[in-house]
Amino acid sequence: MSSKIKEYPGTGLRESDFREKKVLFTEWKPNARYAWDAGIAIGRYLAELKEGRILGVRCRQCRRTVVPPRLFCEWCFRPMDEWVHLQDHGVVNTFSLCYVRWDMERIAEPLIPAVIEIAGASPGIGIMHLLGEVDPQKVEMGMKVQAVWKPAAERVGAITDIRYFRPMKS
Amino acid sequence: MSVLGKVDTNKDARAWCGEIPLQSRYTYGLAGENFFREILENARFMGTRCSKCHFTYVPPTIYCERCLSKLEEWVEVSTEGVVQSFTVLLVAPDGSPLDEPEVLALVQLDGADSMLVHRLGKVDWDELAIGMRVKAVFKPPRKREGSISDIVHFVPVS
Repeated sequence: MSSKIKEYPGTGLRESDFREKKVLFTEWKPNARYAWDAGIAIGRYLAELKEGRILGVRCRQCRRTVVPPRLFCEWCFRPMDEWVHLQDHGVVNTFSLCYVRWDMERIAEPLIPAVIEIAGASPGIGIMHLLGEVDPQKVEMGMKVQAVWKPAAERVGAITDIRYFRPMKS
Repeated sequence: MSVLGKVDTNKDARAWCGEIPLQSRYTYGLAGENFFREILENARFMGTRCSKCHFTYVPPTIYCERCLSKLEEWVEVSTEGVVQSFTVLLVAPDGSPLDEPEVLALVQLDGADSMLVHRLGKVDWDELAIGMRVKAVFKPPRKREGSISDIVHFVPVS
C-alpha cells in the first residue's frame, strides 16, 4: 500500500469486533465442490503417478517429449505418437521463495515452488512442483533434484503423490 | 500409431474431484446495521427517508438513489404491507425438489416506498395474489440474532 495514504474511508473492523458481537454480520460457506474431467492424457498421467511413474508423450515430427502428457502436439497440430515413461528426477529450471501461503497467511519458512525439467523430456519441458529438504538460500537454477514419493498405499493418483523434489545426492 | 484413444467404460473416465474452501462474512453496512439491530432488539422496521424525493427506503440506504443526497432521517414503518410480486419455488438451491413449495414475495411495507424480498408462509393457494396484505412474523426475542432470518416469514392478514 502506498505510504502516501494515511487515512482510509469507511469503518475499519477488527476480528475482536466480530467476536464481541459489536457488529452484526452473516457468515456463509458456499458449497464449492467440483469435478474436473481429466481427459485421456491427464487421466493416464494421474494413474501413472499412482504407480510411482511420471508419464510423458512424444511427437515424432518435432521429436519432442513433453510432460504433462497431451493428446495433440501444439507445435505440429497433429496427434502425439507414443507414451513415454520419464525419470523421476530432473533439473530446476526456475524457482521462487514464497513467504505467503495459498490462503494469504504469512509463513516463516518459505515454500519453494519450482519448474523441474524432467529427465527424459525435451530440454525446457518440465512440471511445476515444490522443493523440499533444502536450505532455501542454497536453491539454484540447474540444481539436480529427485522426486520424493508418498508410500504406494497413500498414493491416490494426484500430483501430490510426489511430496516434493529434494536435491540429488551426488 | 497414435496415443489417441477413447474411453469405453465409465471407470476409465477420470475426474479430478476437489473442493474450494470458501467462506464469506458479510457486514450490513451503516444503514443495514441499524435496520437489523432494530429487528433484533425491537422487532420493528426502520427506514431512511429522503424528504426531497418524498421516498422512504426499506431496507434503508444511506444515500438516496434518486437525488444522491445523504439520508439521515430515520422513520419507523409498519410490519404490515402489500405483496407487489411473488414467485413459487419448487426446487431447492441445490436443484433437489422441495417437498413443500416455497413462496418468495416482494413486500412493500406500509409507509415504505421501496420493497423487500421475503418468504410467504401459511398461504392459501387460491388467496395468493398481487395486492394481498401480509404481516411479518418475527422469531421470539431470544432466538433473534440480527439477520434477515429473524423474520420467519410474512403471513396473510386475515
